[in-house]
Amino acid sequence: MQRRRRWAWGLGIATASALTAFGVASWQANAAPNPAPSTAAAADAPRVSDPQPGPEAAAGTGADPLTTDEVGKARAAALTPELARKSTDVTGAAGPEYLSIELAEEGDARTADVYFYDYKTDKLVKQVVDLRTGKVAGSYSAAGMQLPASDREVQTALDLLMADPLAAELKSAYQQATGKTLAGKDGLTVTAHVFKARPADAATKQCGKHRCLQLVVQSKDGTFIDANDLVIDLSGRTVARLK
Amino acid sequence: MNYRKIAAGGAVLALAGLMLTGTPAHAKAPAAACAGSNQVKETLPNGTTWQLCWRMQPQAGLVLEKVAVSYKRYPQQLLVLDSIRLAQLNVPYDSGETEYNDITDYGFGGGFLETLTGDDCKGGSARTGSDGAATPRRRKILCVSAEPSGLAYRSHDWDAQGREKVYNKLGHDLVLRSISKVGWYEYVTEYRLHDDGQISARLGATGDLSPGDYVNSSRGWPIGKNARDYASMHYHSAFWRVDFNIDGKNKDKVEQYDTKPDGRGPATAKLKTTKTDIAKEGSFNRANRRWWRVVSDTSKNTDGHKRSYELSVGADDKYEGHPETTPDVTFTQSHACEKYASGNADPQCATKKTIIDFAKDKETLKDPVMWVRVGFHHVPRDEDQSPMPLHWQGFDLTPRDATNMNPLTPDGRTSQNGQPR
Ligand SMILES: [Cu+2]
Repeated sequence: MQRRRRWAWGLGIATASALTAFGVASWQANAAPNPAPSTAAAADAPRVSDPQPGPEAAAGTGADPLTTDEVGKARAAALTPELARKSTDVTGAAGPEYLSIELAEEGDARTADVYFYDYKTDKLVKQVVDLRTGKVAGSYSAAGMQLPASDREVQTALDLLMADPLAAELKSAYQQATGKTLAGKDGLTVTAHVFKARPADAATKQCGKHRCLQLVVQSKDGTFIDANDLVIDLSGRTVARLK
Repeated sequence: MNYRKIAAGGAVLALAGLMLTGTPAHAKAPAAACAGSNQVKETLPNGTTWQLCWRMQPQAGLVLEKVAVSYKRYPQQLLVLDSIRLAQLNVPYDSGETEYNDITDYGFGGGFLETLTGDDCKGGSARTGSDGAATPRRRKILCVSAEPSGLAYRSHDWDAQGREKVYNKLGHDLVLRSISKVGWYEYVTEYRLHDDGQISARLGATGDLSPGDYVNSSRGWPIGKNARDYASMHYHSAFWRVDFNIDGKNKDKVEQYDTKPDGRGPATAKLKTTKTDIAKEGSFNRANRRWWRVVSDTSKNTDGHKRSYELSVGADDKYEGHPETTPDVTFTQSHACEKYASGNADPQCATKKTIIDFAKDKETLKDPVMWVRVGFHHVPRDEDQSPMPLHWQGFDLTPRDATNMNPLTPDGRTSQNGQPR
């Protein structure tokens, strides 16, 4: 075994020096950052660069996230006069409910996918905006399709719940969890997720076709308030109990 | 010598590396992959450089794109991934009462994304970028750090005089991390880019147990005094969407390897390994000694071997709750509107709701996307209060023949390529 090793090492000498030479040359040509010094201390605590963020660019390139400007322009373009006229938002007013925007994942052109929910037809609307031309390049809609809730939808759901007789259950859960009386919705921090009815859900069976939310409720000091059995149907503007 | 030729071209090509990776069909000069603030390019102590673009998506959270690696010994930059990101997180409780879909019903981006603070990014660089919200804000949301990964290799050698020598080296990872808070759970999306070319994708869960899900003893574990409060067992069943583009050639293929008993040799059982080409969309399950790789049909290392990355999944609890959560891995032809493993909601392809729908038509895989499912069945324990210690689930993408030898080979070992003769 030792004999073979020695032999292998002997062969290695020439190759090693050749490779060392090429290695140094290519580092210089590459102008890459120097590897950290090979001292034990440096190896134990490797560092990465810590660039300071500059001001946000007006427009992104390639895979950059959509900039504030691009989001503004894409939203404006996506809300075509026809869409604005024919749809309603979560408050019942004219115009669709704006949900989210994202950079389209494929293709070379920078394209924004803008998502709305139309409460009049209970459809998810996707407007594809070409950021170079500022024009809508595609328009799609489908029923029974739900994306995460917008902040305004969460607040609307909370308002509907607070105005419903089932608010008594939230208030009693709040009392139980915090030992205090819930003064109003300002005492709560709320997030939500979309709820789609399962086969056994009789009282909420329209959820999925309708846009429904379940709330995750916390008191201002972070205590979770159990509101899991309460489902708010934003399309029907009703509140129901799961069981 | 072959090496020299590669090295000479390598330095020049490395500079243009990312520029060369655009789709060949595109006539115009490809745009830069991303601007400076959304690029990460770091060189680890062993000389390995990782370069990528990052951004936050409202639902998927952290997305890495154009992930490329180069080594001190192999300076020509090698593109590995067009993109990698989470594609679902199912959190069903064993009571059967509740199932959360944390990616598609909430999202890891936007308001659910946490601003890094305190020890979140200690020793690293907290990068500022858009949080991907409907009205985006620029915040410190990505942690970039370099962390020791333990011993990279160790081997004895002897010099011509018979003196013993040990080659050993500490390895390092470039670590990218973001944190999303969904309800009582706080999730860490993490990618570890190792200096030997391996990519590890992990999801960590901390925060607190569900305050409301308490059940009977067969579905929970008592975590308070005596046998009263049985915290519900549940799953964190995650999907990742991995879009390879090895060497930027857009010529990736998928292979499955199986090693099965094949009679007996004089000492023990013989095993035989066979390859199955996966040419069409489909879902696949793990078996003893089975593995998959995505292999370039055209990019070869200097040994003439096709470059590939192999999927390695470790600990995993399969979640059989739905047809789409059952398979271990699904390969589909890349389509822009097939974004999430379940709960896919894109009006542009309204019938494509899960990976089962994506794969149903058995399309030929020309640009394969790999959907990897890794589940963790969480049985609460006393130590989960409080906060819960981070628990992790994920997988590795290991280079197989991406370079002709270990990219970290020390100078004295560069001749050790092939059978010693
Ligand atoms: Cu858990």
